[in-house]
Formats: sequence, structure tokens, C-alpha cells
Amino acid sequence: MLKVKISQNTPSPLQISLECAPGELHALVGPSGSGKTTALRTIAGLNIPSRGKIECNGEVWFEADDLGNKVQQLSPAERSCGFLFQQYALFPHLNALANVAISLHNSGLNASERKKVSLNLLDRMGIADLAGRLPHQLSGGQQQRVALARALARHPKVLLLDEPFSAIDAPTRQGLYKTLAELRTDLNIPMILVTHDLREADLLADRITVIDQGISLQTAAPQTLFQKPRNSRVAELVGIRNMFHGVFNAGKLTWDGCKQIFIVADKGKIPPKARVAWVIPQSGLSVHSNPTSASVPAVVEKMSGLGQIAVIQLRIQDSKNTIEWEASPAEVRRLGMEVGSQMYLELDGNQIHIMPLRPINDPRRFIDH
Amino acid sequence: MDIDAILLSLKLAFWTMALILPFGIWVAHKLIKLNKSRPWLEAALALPLVLPPTVLGYYFLVAFGNTSIFGFPLVFSFPGILLASLIVNIPFAIQPIQRAFEAINPEIREAAQVSGLSNWQIFRLIELPLSWRGITGAAALTFAHTLGEFGVVLMVGGAIPNETKTASISIYDKVQSFDTSGAGAIALVLLGISLVCIALSYGIFGRYPNHRRGIN
Repeated sequence: MLKVKISQNTPSPLQISLECAPGELHALVGPSGSGKTTALRTIAGLNIPSRGKIECNGEVWFEADDLGNKVQQLSPAERSCGFLFQQYALFPHLNALANVAISLHNSGLNASERKKVSLNLLDRMGIADLAGRLPHQLSGGQQQRVALARALARHPKVLLLDEPFSAIDAPTRQGLYKTLAELRTDLNIPMILVTHDLREADLLADRITVIDQGISLQTAAPQTLFQKPRNSRVAELVGIRNMFHGVFNAGKLTWDGCKQIFIVADKGKIPPKARVAWVIPQSGLSVHSNPTSASVPAVVEKMSGLGQIAVIQLRIQDSKNTIEWEASPAEVRRLGMEVGSQMYLELDGNQIHIMPLRPINDPRRFIDH
Repeated sequence: MDIDAILLSLKLAFWTMALILPFGIWVAHKLIKLNKSRPWLEAALALPLVLPPTVLGYYFLVAFGNTSIFGFPLVFSFPGILLASLIVNIPFAIQPIQRAFEAINPEIREAAQVSGLSNWQIFRLIELPLSWRGITGAAALTFAHTLGEFGVVLMVGGAIPNETKTASISIYDKVQSFDTSGAGAIALVLLGISLVCIALSYGIFGRYPNHRRGIN
């Protein structure tokens, strides 16, 4: 189990808290410059935070008290992390085999044993026949595999992956997804993946930590994150489109600019008459051609097709609010929908998730305790 | 032709190169890790580039004097011109090596760190091979520059045959005594040697900086 709770103010603010179990793939997502790579480098020992603790399988890699006094600080070499760099960082003067074998330099194995182990690893990555090539003679995907073999050579206790798929083409990426999925089962160690691609994180990760301005805002399973973001900033960062504002009081949510009131459940954390942001998943929306008892009249403003899915933008009658509804082209035909048609939108209050508003420029309010 | 002077110049150039390269590598490696004090140190180490050779020579003459820190006089002796030559060549040795170290992507060093290598192993197995081009450039520069060194060597060493009379000083002597053909012959030899060592440096190590290497 990898446990990380660290903070620093300089050179860039960082306040990260996460745990990753063996066999778990934990994604760190956030916009560019949010501090996700710094967090990864800190785990590896390439960045030293001011305060906090990093612990792996009971062994303390780093510890500093609140005053910044270092109690424990292992070097990157002592931490036994496999680190996959975004630009691979292969040693340009060494061939693929030597790039892997160099990780075993202090393993106690002799040169022929190191060569054998390295060849096995390259074979496992499907590139044993390229063992004699220099990095510049390999494609991006092949370099990535050499870098992965090098990261695994020392039997790391943690595997850290920094945007590993950003610089490779789509078909190669699919192959690496498969390799990663296999490794996850075989290695059974904590794996941390840094990515700015939410779709990728959703596809690969067991849990996601959303980072913004160096601060971890929320850690949750992908589905939970998309359905129940902790606050409006998380909702923004995970790309939730149907996010609105309103006032919540005594279990009732009033939608800004609409007359509609929804009965919504919350955990009692929202103070009375608080202004809130709220989201609703696609499964909480239904559209009818005739009014129902709980429906809101809406006009089709825009229709766009995305292959198997049509995205319909509906404007709530007598308001400025628009909501996006995803449906199959068959459903759209069944409703006889076209731009300008009058529809009736029903929102399931049970699926509405309310959350506090984000104070401007102060994400610290949402520190992930 | 003054063969002795050419051999003495080659000997001086060889020892200067051999002694200054390890120092240059060490200093260059230290320099790239410094922050605040770096500009001052770099400026101090580059001084021999801008000071007139006679000024340097004068200071050496004063410093080496009748008794030196070594307990015996260094002026007008081979060790004296070697020491002077070493100091004059400091910037020629350090700067190309420093540039080569700086050109290594920091991620490469970090990758070596997380691969479990110690600082010494990173230096020996990663940084040194990747800086090979800069090191050979520094070697060629110091060798060729020492071959042609005149002012400082003349000030410190005078022109004692087989001891301090290098090829450049011999050329000067021959021109003074109107032996232009003798001066021309030595000058041609110096030109040839300098051209060969620079060409070797550019041709062998410049064109193919990354030799294919096997397992370590």
C-alpha cells in the first residue's frame, strides 16, 4: 500500500493526499500545470516537499514534521520506484538491452545474468528482436516499451507513469493499454498514472484523484467522480456539461431562472438557503413529446450527431438555461424531434447531486481531508 | 629544423592536456550544480581568456619567483611552463566540457537516479559517455592551444633549449635571426599538428557522438 500525504508552498504549491493499494491503478488528473507530475516526482524522490509523509508497504520513504524538519528522506535510488517518463528518457548512448540492464547494475547479478533478465523483459514487451538498437533507431511506441522494461527491471514496489500515452499514436496506444492491464494483474503493486485525458483515466483507473492548482480536490472511483463531484470545480474539471446553479433549502432545490423546484437528498452538509451548484447525469433525464406531471417545457435549440449518439440541446421555456441530452438517433426519430420543436423534459430529483459553489481563486476550500 | 623545440612543445601539450582534463571534468561537473556563486566562479575561471599573456606571465613570474610553494624555483624550468600552461588552459578545458554536461537532458539524470544508480555510477555510466564530444573537444583545444602558446611561456620559461624553448619561441628566435626558412618549417609542422588534432576531434567524435555501446 502506498500512502502519500505531502505539502509544500514553494516552488509551486502542492497539497496532495492519496492512497493506492497493490494492484490498483490510480490516476492523477488535472489541467496542465496543476501539479500532477510534481506529485508523481515527489513520490519518486525527484522533488522534496516541505512537510508530510510518503510510505510504501510500511517503509517510510519520506517524512517531515509540520516545521519542515526532515525525519526520513530516502534517495530516488533507494525508493525502488519504476518511473516511466513522458518523453521516455532513455539513455541515448546505450542500446535497448543496455538501457534495461543498467537498472540491474546494483542488483548483485553478473553481466550475463543482467543481460538474460533484460532480454526476458524486452521479450515480455514484445521487442526482444530490437535489443541491439539505439533509442533513436526505435519508434515512439518501441521506446516506450524499452522504458517500461527498464522501469520494471528492479522489481519496483510502485510503478509511476507520467503521461505515458501522450506522445504515441492511437493504434500503439491501444497495444500499451493492453500491456498495462496485463502488468496490473501480474505485478500486483500500486500504480499511479498521470494523465490529462479523462477518458483514458476513466478507461484504465480504479480510482481517480482530481488535482487543481497543486491541491487534490477529490479521490473517487471514475463513476462516482462523474456522478457525484465534490464541488463545482471538480465538476468543471471532469467535464460535466449539465451543471447548473440554484438555492438549496430544507431538501428543496430551486433552479436559478426557472420556476421548477426539485426534492433532493443530501448528506446534511449544505447549510440552509445556500447557493449551490448541481449536476444531473444523463440517466436522470428523460424527454417526452407530451407533458407529464413533473415535466418542464423545453425547446430543441440545437441537434448534433456523434455517430451512435445524438446530442440535443434543449432550452428550458422562459429561462436562459440549456441542458444537453444524449439519445440514440432512433429515440430522436421516435420523438419526431427537430430544431424548434416543443418537448417536455423530466429531471429525476433522486439523481440530482448538489455541491458547494467554488469560491473564486480559492480551491483550498476544498482540500481533500 | 629545431626538432627538440617541436618535441618539447608536444611534451608540454601532452602533459597539459593529460593533467587539465580530469580537473576540467571535475570543475565543469561541479559548476553545473551551482546556482548563486556560479557566475562569479565562471568569470574567475574565464579570466585567462581575456588577460594579456604578458600580464599572466608577469604574475606567474612574481608568484613562482625564486622560491615557490613547491620549495624550488619554477621559473625557467619545464615544471614552471607546465604549471603556467595549465592555468592558461583552464577556460579551454572547462567550457566545452561544461557545455556538454549542460546539454544532457535533466530527465536522463533523473531516469538514472530512479534506475537505482549512485551519483558516481551516473557520472561514469551516463554523464561521461554523453559528454564525450565535449571532452575530446576540450582535449583538442588545450593540446592545440598549448602548442601555439607563446607569451606566457616566454615570460615564465625564457628560451632554454630542451627545457623551456618551445616551438613557438623557436620560431620567434629564428625570425629574429632572419632564418625565415627554419621558422617556416616549424610553423608548418605546428599548423599540421593543430589541424590534425582539431580534425580528429571534429571528424571522429563530432560526426558520431553516440557510439553504439553494449551491455554494462
